[in-house]
Amino acid sequence: MVGEEHVSMIPIAPNNVWRAKVNGRAQEILAPSNAILLDVLRDKVGCLGVKRGCDMGTCGCCAVLIDGEPRLSCLTMANECVGSDIISVEGLSNGAHLAPIQQCFAECGGSQCGFCTPGFLISSQALLDKNSNPTDSEIATAIEGNLCRCTGYQQIIQSIQSAAAIHRGDESPAKPASDAHSDPHPSGPE
Amino acid sequence: MTDGYVQQPGSSKDVRVDGKRVAGKMSFNPPGSGGSRPEMAERDLDFIPEVEGGREAQPAGHHLHDKYRTGTTVGKRTPLVDGNAKVTGQAWYGDDVRLANEIIGRIVRSPHHYAKVKSIDTSKAEALPGVLAVSTGADAPQRFGVLPVTKDEHAMAVEKVRHVGDLVACVAAIDEATAREAAALIEVEYEVLDAVHDPKKGLLDVDDPIHWRGQYHIGSTNVQKRVFQEFGDRSKLEQARATHHGKWKFMGVNHGFTEPHAVVAHWDPNGRLQLYTPQQVPHYAHRALATVLDVPMHQVNVIRTFVGGGFGGKSDPFPHEMCAAILARKAGRPVRITFDREEVFWVNRGRHPSHIEVQLFADDDARISGFEIDALIDGGGFASFGHVTSYYNGVLATAPYELGSFHYTGARVWTNKPASGAMRGHGAVNTRCAIEVGMDDLAEKLQVDPIDLRLANLLPPHSKTITGFRITSNGMRQALERVREGSDWDSKFRQLPLGKGIGIGCGFFISGSGLPIHWDPNKFPHATVHIQIDMDGGVTVHTGAADIGQGSTTAVAQVVAEVLALPLEMIHVRSHESDTSPVDLGSYSSRVTFMNANAAITAALDVREQLLDAASEILDVPAKLLILNDRRIYNKKDPAVGTSYLQALHKSQEDKGALIASGAYRTPPMGGVHKGAAAGLAPAYSFSAYVAEVEVDVDTGLIKCTDVWAAHDCGKALNPLAVEGQIIGSCHMGLGQVLSEQMVYGRTGHLQNPNLLDYKIPSVHEMPNVTPIIIESCDPEGPFGAKEAGEGPLLPILPAVVNAVYDAIGIRVNDLPLTPDKVWAAISKKMKREDIADAQDLPVPRIDFSELQAKIAKRSTEHNDRDGRRQRSEDTDPYINGVLFGFDPSIPPEDQDGDWKISVRPDSGQLESLGLAGSAWTKIEQRKMEDGK
Repeated sequence: MVGEEHVSMIPIAPNNVWRAKVNGRAQEILAPSNAILLDVLRDKVGCLGVKRGCDMGTCGCCAVLIDGEPRLSCLTMANECVGSDIISVEGLSNGAHLAPIQQCFAECGGSQCGFCTPGFLISSQALLDKNSNPTDSEIATAIEGNLCRCTGYQQIIQSIQSAAAIHRGDESPAKPASDAHSDPHPSGPE
Repeated sequence: MTDGYVQQPGSSKDVRVDGKRVAGKMSFNPPGSGGSRPEMAERDLDFIPEVEGGREAQPAGHHLHDKYRTGTTVGKRTPLVDGNAKVTGQAWYGDDVRLANEIIGRIVRSPHHYAKVKSIDTSKAEALPGVLAVSTGADAPQRFGVLPVTKDEHAMAVEKVRHVGDLVACVAAIDEATAREAAALIEVEYEVLDAVHDPKKGLLDVDDPIHWRGQYHIGSTNVQKRVFQEFGDRSKLEQARATHHGKWKFMGVNHGFTEPHAVVAHWDPNGRLQLYTPQQVPHYAHRALATVLDVPMHQVNVIRTFVGGGFGGKSDPFPHEMCAAILARKAGRPVRITFDREEVFWVNRGRHPSHIEVQLFADDDARISGFEIDALIDGGGFASFGHVTSYYNGVLATAPYELGSFHYTGARVWTNKPASGAMRGHGAVNTRCAIEVGMDDLAEKLQVDPIDLRLANLLPPHSKTITGFRITSNGMRQALERVREGSDWDSKFRQLPLGKGIGIGCGFFISGSGLPIHWDPNKFPHATVHIQIDMDGGVTVHTGAADIGQGSTTAVAQVVAEVLALPLEMIHVRSHESDTSPVDLGSYSSRVTFMNANAAITAALDVREQLLDAASEILDVPAKLLILNDRRIYNKKDPAVGTSYLQALHKSQEDKGALIASGAYRTPPMGGVHKGAAAGLAPAYSFSAYVAEVEVDVDTGLIKCTDVWAAHDCGKALNPLAVEGQIIGSCHMGLGQVLSEQMVYGRTGHLQNPNLLDYKIPSVHEMPNVTPIIIESCDPEGPFGAKEAGEGPLLPILPAVVNAVYDAIGIRVNDLPLTPDKVWAAISKKMKREDIADAQDLPVPRIDFSELQAKIAKRSTEHNDRDGRRQRSEDTDPYINGVLFGFDPSIPPEDQDGDWKISVRPDSGQLESLGLAGSAWTKIEQRKMEDGK
């Protein structure tokens, strides 16, 4: 293309500074003004737990909490949530301790291949934040925007129900099957 | 408590009066002595078989591995060992691999169904700033394919494109926008050819077949593979008391995994390819990469990322994997390619669109005197697994019923669509649906209960099918009985009001393919597992088994933990890299748990023996008297005499360091000698029976499946949580195929719904309430008795729903999926034909049992006793298909009956009477033609 200036097919938008709180931490990021939130979260912030499954709002894998509401980050412009408080799957746990919803998904078979799991966790957490005593049908409504191809949803609903029980305080989080830091050389009673 | 490193606890210098050494006492309290520490607990007798002194009942008999059960984890509901990585977002899938300096690749795809590529001009793309590499088919002329006999794919088009979306070229640039733009700047000149879309037309001779196989090409058709199989005595079919004829159409179905394909390729500074890909079958990708890139296999390291769902759709070596490697080699930087959802549909490899015709015959004793199957399957543009699929469509229908004869003609044709391939329930699903609906219809015509009809015609455990498959454990009977009981069948079947129905369906599937795809002329094992334990006591298990979410890593960790009596957390499975993992054939044909866990048990037993020998030396107690329990080894007769696991380990490591053990699994020799005898052979088979209940809105044709009772015989549930997950998940996927999922090709052959909005995967609202029922038949060769649970459970849901719809409205629709428009059209057709004004007045089928009902009930009671004895190995006489028809099981039936045939080619007299797919046999192979074409 000697002699002619190349005109890009995809308009290159100017870079803006994008400011928001992601998982409790203030972010200042240079991103195109037309950037999609999913791209910003994955490529710039480094939240690789936010999954890209379809790019058109059909699978729910990319869900994040924006100011407490579950939203599909693939259908959200980054600019729409400047100044927002965004929570992704990485922000659900309390330090090294899994959130009840995470623990229950892991223990009740709510996660098989795991790709849809971050989106389900976000939708479920949003539900449990408002309603810690949901019926199965309320759970179904909360996760209707999330596709799971592995579990057939049944164990997901069970996971959410058992997380709800923990939220209500009905039961303490189940103990792991065995000690996570197994001592290969057990000694006697202290 | 321990005073540092103690090799021999207690006082070993004490000598008894009789001169024998006094065994050391444990430095801690013995198991069962109370206290809250986990290692003070007694063995969990609930999970130790009765025969070993535990409390686990064994109705299906004992198992070779019973004596290695330690009550640690096998049989317990066990969360996936990688579950925490998944719920925290730390699991790394294909697109999550981010290497320093990475660039982004894009694929240029064909806009035409079928065309010659005349020229490709990449100059504009190469000139675009930011573009670092461009590649076309000329860079990779080598063919590849998952099956060695049908290598018909290229990394990018060489000469021709074969479907819309076929790869033509690829580019890599500094970012995605530039890569997309560069892809659009590549100019390709095509000469459009006449495309074939209808598989029926694929049977005809054309000028330009989609592939050319030289002397092996069948006529000049698009037939990729044809199969003919005839077994048994068909002469008695004419005297059948009841016959069923079903003509089916099945639409193509996509796996619909949530993770789109993604790959990262990186040539490291030493010139080795590091390829990150979410692969079910990394080993075949490894082989294909070495071929296409023209490097030795050891110069390629395939790193399997976490796999976001596979279901068969990530088991071929893929051209985009080659593209990424080629681009990375050219650019000298890591290249990442991630697919759009639309591209996932262009790669496809989903279930074959099929035309299937079945005829079933039952004789005066309500025995199944014959299955006749004709399956024409639409393979799309490439062979993929099609060679195998062509067989599976027939041969996997030869059980669980005892047959008087079996006749199968199948053909797979190339069409200009994205290639079909392997999908959960590979090749068996569609035919199984047709057969099971046929069984329902036979029962209707014989006026007997369809469950009783099945119960009276089952092959027993330890028998042979009509095609010679060796059946070992068989829980079909219990499965049928359990769903009958669970669903309250006897008070519902043919008694529900209009619009409500109940139906039954059965399934049969391989548990691991008996023949590896790459059947090198040596005796490579199918699976190998290495175990390594260093001084820290952690157990590192190296396996090549690809965990695609089904939990294979967990299963391997479980069996090792079980044998060594260690907590699951001490087992670290390393399965991602081909550099460190022994070759495993991958996650397909439901083989992983069966083969890989068997290999893992063998390796773990080696370690166990070394530990016991060491402990025996420390304690001066014979090894056979020692018991392994949670991190300790002690004397069976005096639990106070024992040593800790670490002490025994260190003893056994003296002078050699880490304990290393290796285990391998290879299938036993089995099967017949006829052509195609190996297709469908497996070391074990799974069985399942489902009852589905549906509601049909007769005014709209909308079907809602409300309840499913799903019984699956998985031999032994190593992890019931995972088995139930597989059963429910299979129901979901099968329900999608029977009610809503279809790849819709428009009039011009264009795929109209390559996205998850128009391709209708059931959401949470469409899911019925599934009651999973696990049947444990204790397979003699399975790891702790286990068989597969991943694919078989999908099969019965389709026919169960179709049969339930018939029970609800008295209409059988033989065109899947049963979308409301098709059902409503069938309802209104019937109303017109029978002059019914209001759909609410449709007649509902009712049953009036014939005299045969008592006869088959009696037979099934007799068979129940027979099967129980055979299952528990109290009766070990040979049993072959045909005994029900009066044959002597110790003599091949062909030697007893002159009309009994075993034939894999049609006689010339038969050619005219063959079905649609069978007509492929009227064409002559090129090499058999007298003057070439």
